[in-house]
Amino acid sequence: MIAYLTNLATLATIFGILAASLNLLIGYAGIFSIAHAVFFGLGAYAGAQLAMLLVPDLLLACLAGGLVAGALSLCLALPALRVRGEYFVAASLGLQMMAVTVFSEAHAVTGGHGGLVGIPLASLLGFDISAPATFLMVCLVVLALMLLVIRLLMRGSFGRGLMAIRDSESAAEAFGKNVARLKTLAVVLGCAMAGVAGVLFAFYMAFVNVESFTLEQSILVMAMVIIGGTATLIGPLVGVLLLLLLPAGLSFLPFIPPTEIGSVQQLIYGLAMALLMIFRPAGLAGQSTGQR
Amino acid sequence: MLQRRIFLLATAAGLAAPGILRAQGSPYVVGTLFPMSGPNAEYGMLFTNAVQLAFEHIKADGMLKRPIDLRAQDSLATPQGGAVGMQKLASVDGAPYVMLGFTGVSKAAAPIGTRSKVMMVNGGGVGPDLAGLSPYFWNVIPLVNQEVKALLPWLQQKSLKRVALIYVDDPLGNSVLEQLRKGLPGVGGELVDTYSVPPAAQQFAAVAAKVRSANPDAVYFASYGAQQSQIIKQLRDNGIRQQLLTYSAGSIPSVLSLPESEGLVYTSQAADWSSAQDPVTQRFVKDWRAKYNSDPSIYHQNYYNAMRLFGLLAQELEKAGTPVNGENLLQTLLKVRQFTFVGGEGTFQDNGTLELPMQINQIHDGRAQKIA
Amino acid sequence: MLFLQLLLSGIQTGAIYALTAAGFALIFGATRIFHVAHGATFALAGYAFLACSQAGLPWFVGCLAALLIAVGFGLAMDAFIYRPIQRHEGSFFTVFVAAFGMTIAVQSLIEIGFGRGFAVVDTPLTMARAVVPGLYLADIFWVATGVALVLFILVTLFLERTRAGIGLRALSENPELLRAYGLSSRRLSALAFGLGSALAVPGAVLTAATSGLQPAISAQVMLISLAAAVVGGIGSLRGAALAGLLLGVVENLVISAVDTQWSSAAGFVVLFAFILFRPSGLFGQAVTR
Repeated sequence: MIAYLTNLATLATIFGILAASLNLLIGYAGIFSIAHAVFFGLGAYAGAQLAMLLVPDLLLACLAGGLVAGALSLCLALPALRVRGEYFVAASLGLQMMAVTVFSEAHAVTGGHGGLVGIPLASLLGFDISAPATFLMVCLVVLALMLLVIRLLMRGSFGRGLMAIRDSESAAEAFGKNVARLKTLAVVLGCAMAGVAGVLFAFYMAFVNVESFTLEQSILVMAMVIIGGTATLIGPLVGVLLLLLLPAGLSFLPFIPPTEIGSVQQLIYGLAMALLMIFRPAGLAGQSTGQR
Repeated sequence: MLQRRIFLLATAAGLAAPGILRAQGSPYVVGTLFPMSGPNAEYGMLFTNAVQLAFEHIKADGMLKRPIDLRAQDSLATPQGGAVGMQKLASVDGAPYVMLGFTGVSKAAAPIGTRSKVMMVNGGGVGPDLAGLSPYFWNVIPLVNQEVKALLPWLQQKSLKRVALIYVDDPLGNSVLEQLRKGLPGVGGELVDTYSVPPAAQQFAAVAAKVRSANPDAVYFASYGAQQSQIIKQLRDNGIRQQLLTYSAGSIPSVLSLPESEGLVYTSQAADWSSAQDPVTQRFVKDWRAKYNSDPSIYHQNYYNAMRLFGLLAQELEKAGTPVNGENLLQTLLKVRQFTFVGGEGTFQDNGTLELPMQINQIHDGRAQKIA
Repeated sequence: MLFLQLLLSGIQTGAIYALTAAGFALIFGATRIFHVAHGATFALAGYAFLACSQAGLPWFVGCLAALLIAVGFGLAMDAFIYRPIQRHEGSFFTVFVAAFGMTIAVQSLIEIGFGRGFAVVDTPLTMARAVVPGLYLADIFWVATGVALVLFILVTLFLERTRAGIGLRALSENPELLRAYGLSSRRLSALAFGLGSALAVPGAVLTAATSGLQPAISAQVMLISLAAAVVGGIGSLRGAALAGLLLGVVENLVISAVDTQWSSAAGFVVLFAFILFRPSGLFGQAVTR
């Protein structure tokens, strides 16, 4: 039981980082990306390759994963600078679909659908950190660091600039904000953080393949942020806990026939998304609606 | 009385971890990790039905002293679903024995199961990299390279020389590609063209047009699940009249019942229901027909065998008075090696696969017939 | 010859895409709602048709049932999901998430009701014959393109000639003005949802007969409609239909040049390129934000 809880907690922490990084885009910068799993995947592949080819050092791998995801996030920044709203959603969708094809075709780097097997156990500065409890602690520390960075940044001029753009791009421009630079920075930062989450994910699962980085995953993360509450520090974490624990909790219910469990999970998950948007659109942890 | 003795033995041996201790007084927990939702859920249903039948037989025979408690987890047919589900089966349910399927799921679940010393048995995934995945990972299904090899002589005999291949670009598809590329020249054939498709692709009219312009003697497709029916139907609809070939994934009901599947040839492990002599096979076929009013497929056979394997292993352990946990199940399997299964005697190889005789089937009027 | 064959099968796929995308564009154009549950409408209509034909009912009964289900679902989405959301806030992303949730819910309901396998309605219409040597066409090609063309003309006429149609077109631009002319914006938006959802029906029925249905089809249809609507210029019916056709053709033609693997991604490459270089789409007005 302990092992199971540790497992859930580790996954929840990793998804917490992922959701917090997406919140930076959706919540603070108003960039509604549904391609976040792409950067999660880029980080995972980069971290896994580094660990398999050079050293399984978590710090180095996180750096590599963050760098790769951050650098390639310019693919997302480009449309973000040109279009907004529905157009950007569609652009990120296009990016997501192309990336999945690339992931499954670039056998040399990603292993295709077969994925990368045999990712070595993680170490940190020479210490073995692969024990489940230790790894959970490391993930929690990373999450805390990320949240701290987001909090500091959002309190500063960068954050205020971003939120000004989110609320009215033209007004922000009129006040002399460099819209292009701020937006690009937000995208790079958010995607680099997603890359770090990907590295942790790769080490934790010891196996990655393209199926973890599909549109469904992007949608799941997006739902976590939205359901939890955008533009709050705690919101994405609430969303993660809810959406990860919902299926886990459901499978404890004895009266659902085991063969229908999957469909029932999906049904509740879908209905919950719709109902929440009707009755609490700011998310569970969000402030009351109406102002914004 | 007897139960208490086993309990005492276990504690005396100092082996009993908390999970095992709890298991002593309660039923044996056996896990299944199949896709129960999503596009591959049809397989989950197939696998579960087969496990159920074996479960009923074990119960009816009084094979084990204690009841079995089946716990199902949805693998979603994805690695992540596999990892999470396996973790839950291993540590919450405390299952010492888990049946699973699908190559990606198996590869993600194997390290977790190995860590928790859970015996894992695959009867559905045929990716070649499932051989030797972990000492705790066993296949009760011949892997796909064996299947392609079995088909080659038949192709030569029917003088189907020019073969085109449509394959899903994953380890399974790539293995078929490699086997055909290597094997066809040896039987006087050639691989004239290959088309790799994504696992979620649904439109094959364009592929059909390309196949037609390559003009092969036969078309092999290596896919699984719902996509197979779409490939077959769209090839036929678009005027491909050539012989269609595939491997054991083609034996699912949705393919069999598709009118366009008429004449499709697929390989599978030997499963000749009509002339089976041994009582295990006869009973399986009889009860299956009575329960589901149709012939069992090889997946039914494999997962019946997988569940039966647990019964046989646990029976041995009960006889010896040792606790039923993953480690002991594995030791027993390594010791016994050969088991009486549906379809005949099966012997486990060192790389974790089961060597079984193969056969070639053709679909005729919605039923599979053995042709070689 | 291969090129011509691919072009023709592209047109057949594209005709189905075009109708579905036109429905999506009609709804978006009139109500500014990004109706991603349009894919669910499509799946429901397809399965309704399937259920009727499995029950042995004649095909037009099946079509009627599909039409009723589709329109009913579209109207219900408008009345019970979108309207309540728009009443309090209605950020487009909230709408998007809610609609997406409903798509997932519908998909799992179909799974529970119809099983998770592949299902197809058998008809001799899909069997291709050689028209000229080497060029194969099935009767369904003529059905698909014919139905698409006729319906498209009818909808265009409706939008341009009737009072309600003109009201629909004006709805997104100036709801207040409409009220002044005595048209109810509520009723018009219901009309948009009804009509838009109805446009998904022929595609669903044809797909049930050609490439077949599976519960996950709603996601795929949603992606195509969305992509076509954007490439065509959001809100432009003509654009969406043309872009749908284009996506179908590209998906098929592209494999004469590159690996078949890229077929389904090709449409999204087109989408991404359009957003980068011509965000207003084929027929859209310039992006105003």
